[in-house]
Amino acid sequence: MPETPTLTDRYVDAAMRTVPESQRVDLAAELRGSIADQVEAREDAGERKDAAERAVLTELGDPDKLAAGYTGRQLHLIGPRYYLDWWRLLKLLLWIVLPCTAFGVALGQTLSGAAVGGIIGSAVAAMLTAAVHVGFWTTLVFVILERTGHETMDAGPWTPDRLPEPRQQGAGFGEMLTSIVWLLILAGLVVWDLTLGFVPGRRLSFLNPALWPVGAVLLFALMAVAAVLAVLVYVRRRWTYGLAVANAVLSLAVVAVLLVFGPVIDPAFFAALIDGPDAVKVQQIVTIVLWFGIAAVAVWTVLDGFLKARRAAR
Amino acid sequence: MSDDEILDTHLQELRRGTVVLACLRLLARPGYGYGLLEELAARGFATDANTLYPLLRRLEKQGHLTSEWNTDEARPRKFYRTSATGHTLARSLTAEFRSIADAIAALPEED
Repeated sequence: MPETPTLTDRYVDAAMRTVPESQRVDLAAELRGSIADQVEAREDAGERKDAAERAVLTELGDPDKLAAGYTGRQLHLIGPRYYLDWWRLLKLLLWIVLPCTAFGVALGQTLSGAAVGGIIGSAVAAMLTAAVHVGFWTTLVFVILERTGHETMDAGPWTPDRLPEPRQQGAGFGEMLTSIVWLLILAGLVVWDLTLGFVPGRRLSFLNPALWPVGAVLLFALMAVAAVLAVLVYVRRRWTYGLAVANAVLSLAVVAVLLVFGPVIDPAFFAALIDGPDAVKVQQIVTIVLWFGIAAVAVWTVLDGFLKARRAAR
Repeated sequence: MSDDEILDTHLQELRRGTVVLACLRLLARPGYGYGLLEELAARGFATDANTLYPLLRRLEKQGHLTSEWNTDEARPRKFYRTSATGHTLARSLTAEFRSIADAIAALPEED
């Protein structure tokens, strides 16, 4: 019958598991000798052999940890050299990937005629999946970098030149001018569409003529308020939470007007351009895409106002 | 963290490099793991076995120590000895330690 391995045998075996083959014999012999020396010293001091062995091994601690000390193996996933790069990249990727995923999946689901619950469910599930993937793969790349010792994308010492650019407050003269010019162009497009139309030679409007005159006038009024808001931001030199709330209310009001005055697109528009039943299908798809675009712009406008207000409040 | 633990952490950090210096100086005469552990303790450099053994390996890998197996006795032991570069390192570390000690002595006295 083979001898039962002693605690020391088991300890040395456990410690050598993670040691490269070439160093194993040498290290094992030294470790075994050291343990025996320590046990002997304790026995000389009057301890029993098994108690002494147990005490020595307890003091040496986790064999894998000891082996890591011998071989210089890292006991962390991502250390201080790469941690900040990893964290910055992860945050950036999540901010980009998650909204795009949610938007894309929701659009696809809506186009294929899913119910509201299904759309929200799929979008949330897709975002979770995307977050797990982004987190896992980004981390994996950095774990490999950490173990192979390659430099990250922007190696080199930090200098003050690398400080982040001062953030735009979004309250300059340029921003005001851009906002107002865009509002004018938009108003011009609406008027042009409802009076002349964009299809050459045809008296056909893309927007539902039912918007005219009440809806259109309301839209123009909201645009005028938006222009005033842009001027106010410029005069105050900064966004405030009050202005951000006004901005949000304004965006929602535009969406509400578009909702109240029935289908945004003139039902006759595609029917006049495309023959047969395809027109209805095209009309449906363009409507959905248009509403997603409107929703995205509205959400972005609301968020943008609050983000700039928060930045200015600091 | 309790006050004791905080004190321990600070003391540990202060002592960390001195064990390397003590090993390099003591191993001018060849020594093996456990014997060195005892001698360090006797000379006031209390060190854990699981710190010392990896440290010896690391210094050997860096070329500051050389090693040799001694199989004359009943229990074969790996003997370490400070190499020429090890002695140079020991001199630099000793000089640095003295200048730190002087600098600390020159600090304003506690009231």
